[in-house]
Amino acid sequence: MTTSDVRAALLSADPKLSKFSPLPRILAFDEFDSGTHGWTELLGNYNGRGDLSTVDDHMRDFRPPQLSACNFFDIGTHGALSGTYALKLATRPYKGHTAVAIRRLTMSGRGLVQLETYFAFKSEATLGGGAELDSFGDVQWDGNTHPSEAQFGAFTVATDLCGDGGLRYHTVARYQNTDMDNHFTRRWMAPTVPEPTPREHFEGKVKLEYAADFTAPNPEDWQQFGEPQELCYNEVPTKVNWHYLRWLIDTDKRKNVELQVNDRVMDMRDVPVPPYEERYETLENLLNFYFSVRTHSSVRNFLFLDSVLISVDW
Amino acid sequence: MTAVLERDTTFDTRFATEPYEVAWASEARWFVQHVGGDGTATYVTQVSPDGLTWCDLDDLEHVVEPGGLVSWPATGFGHWLRLRAKVEGSVQVRIHLAVKA
Repeated sequence: MTTSDVRAALLSADPKLSKFSPLPRILAFDEFDSGTHGWTELLGNYNGRGDLSTVDDHMRDFRPPQLSACNFFDIGTHGALSGTYALKLATRPYKGHTAVAIRRLTMSGRGLVQLETYFAFKSEATLGGGAELDSFGDVQWDGNTHPSEAQFGAFTVATDLCGDGGLRYHTVARYQNTDMDNHFTRRWMAPTVPEPTPREHFEGKVKLEYAADFTAPNPEDWQQFGEPQELCYNEVPTKVNWHYLRWLIDTDKRKNVELQVNDRVMDMRDVPVPPYEERYETLENLLNFYFSVRTHSSVRNFLFLDSVLISVDW
Repeated sequence: MTAVLERDTTFDTRFATEPYEVAWASEARWFVQHVGGDGTATYVTQVSPDGLTWCDLDDLEHVVEPGGLVSWPATGFGHWLRLRAKVEGSVQVRIHLAVKA
């Protein structure tokens, strides 16, 4: 029996880890039933006096992640996959608003990096109102399909990486459920440009408004990859079905590799990873991961994470 | 855990903070700071069964003057907390919610 066999046997016998497929070295195993594990609110940069009015408008309100028991008006506590609590990202009920949770590490090597998670996405339930609330976007309530599904915009998993002399880049995968006009698109996307930075605003190059898409504000700077994919929203806004996501990148080549979401594996090797032109200081070996959720309606959108596992081959 | 529910936001009318889930917590404390503006606001802790419908936790009103920092505990809450506020004038508000298991 080889070391690899022993490891595989140990992983498969562990009920917590056997639902993942980790690379050889596990950097983080975050079961949110036991806390937030360093996933925290993202905030834009501010000046030397702590003056928060110097934070970019589009990066000042990404909302604190919550430990959620997935409590709902109709059934009470839904609970998470691995216990009672999940990490919840919640937008404001404001079209375009984004909630972001980020986890900050550094790299002690280069090579493959894999993020796995079990996630669910929902819109906030609506109570009351008139019959007009039985339809939204492409959906008319028919006993099965529910307008809540069309009120969900998009969620994103991404990195912020820097090394090798200050070369900074992001790898990004976004599931766009609807476009900004609330029509279903159900596709995977990635930006073709790097994320705007506070220095660009400081230097007068970019000024983005509140609720702008901070990952890449211009919709034309996004391109689809893979085929459209229908996920399991499961009709009403209070049924939480957990999806498996596994995302592999290569920090040696500074490339995407592949994205698996449930039974779909998408080759991402040709998905661009646009680096910043300028070199960055104070970010050497930066290894950040973030999840975000963005509403395209005036309804709060939620991204629930049961657990996250980050592993590497170095 | 500490959550910053409003970060130097300016209000000149009634408002409520975003719903925050605290099912895991047994005690909570609000910190409300007026970092700008010349107005005054009155705050009341609210609870909810579902994050959608809200009622006052108690009959205590907490007044914050310009430049003031006021704190008060919340106990016996359910699984959600928020503040509602009545505003006179204009207030720039920083609100921390500190919660413990």
